[in-house]
Amino acid sequence: MTILDLDNFETDFWKDVDKRATWDQIIPGELRDTTPVTLTKEVIARFAKGVGEDNPLYFDEEYAKTTIYGGIIAPPSIHILLMFACTTTEDWMRSPGTINAGQNWSYHVPIRPGDTITMRGTALDRFIRKDRLFAVHENSFTNQHGEIVCTGRGQTIRPA
Amino acid sequence: MTAEEQFNKVDEGEVITGRPFTVSRDTIQAFADASLDYNPLHFDDNYMKNKFGKTSFDGVIMHGMQNFALITRTLTDWLIPRGGFHRRLETRWLKPVQLGHTITPVVTLQSKKKTEKGYWLLFDVEVTNQDGMLVAMGNAMAEFIDVIPGKR
Repeated sequence: MTILDLDNFETDFWKDVDKRATWDQIIPGELRDTTPVTLTKEVIARFAKGVGEDNPLYFDEEYAKTTIYGGIIAPPSIHILLMFACTTTEDWMRSPGTINAGQNWSYHVPIRPGDTITMRGTALDRFIRKDRLFAVHENSFTNQHGEIVCTGRGQTIRPA
Repeated sequence: MTAEEQFNKVDEGEVITGRPFTVSRDTIQAFADASLDYNPLHFDDNYMKNKFGKTSFDGVIMHGMQNFALITRTLTDWLIPRGGFHRRLETRWLKPVQLGHTITPVVTLQSKKKTEKGYWLLFDVEVTNQDGMLVAMGNAMAEFIDVIPGKR
């Protein structure tokens, strides 16, 4: 179990750039290298604040208990953070110039403080359209009970 | 209140306008610190003088997922007090969003759908900038549900 440490995250996305798969090297279906992370109440609150989510459901246990959720949960959009928290500095999603073209995400079991989340990610497909190099990624996140938290598909334009 | 009662209390055609959001270097930094996405597209003015294939940008751009998070907030701000459960969001980015731009998500409850076991809401999503131009479009789904999945 690795508690996510936001303060020691590598913010230089040029680091290890030569070790990352380029569009030519991406093999559709190949799994990305991922590590499970544990999300504390503090990490959830910090994510919520950073993205402007001010509903007390995400940080106030007394309020959260009165809702259908029965306690604090993470904002559904926390997969945005998990995409980088669960991958390494050699992961191609960090490649400078990666341009997001669109996303769809489906949500099932909400993440709660103390949950350990595992990511499974692939580039399911790649193609060239209008002179641009695309990758299609599919990701799923599960909790420590083996339950699906959320799944998502996205497209990025890869740096040429 | 049961899921069915909550479902019956909302009306098709309701328009939900999100809070306007103005992009600055501070908002980009805050989003990067929250999302851990430090791509130079969002920080490095010199890097942004490059061409990206056929595309060139006029300076740094907002994270696409900032837009995703703002749409999510618009939906959940409306859903949580009504007992609704956010189930799905699909987005397409149409235009880059730049420093100084103000974007506003607008979500319309396009239809309600009862399935065998569920009470579903289907939303259309549009995000426009300060000039009224569409920068993102999408669809979303929410459910009224008696027990949240995984609740212990």
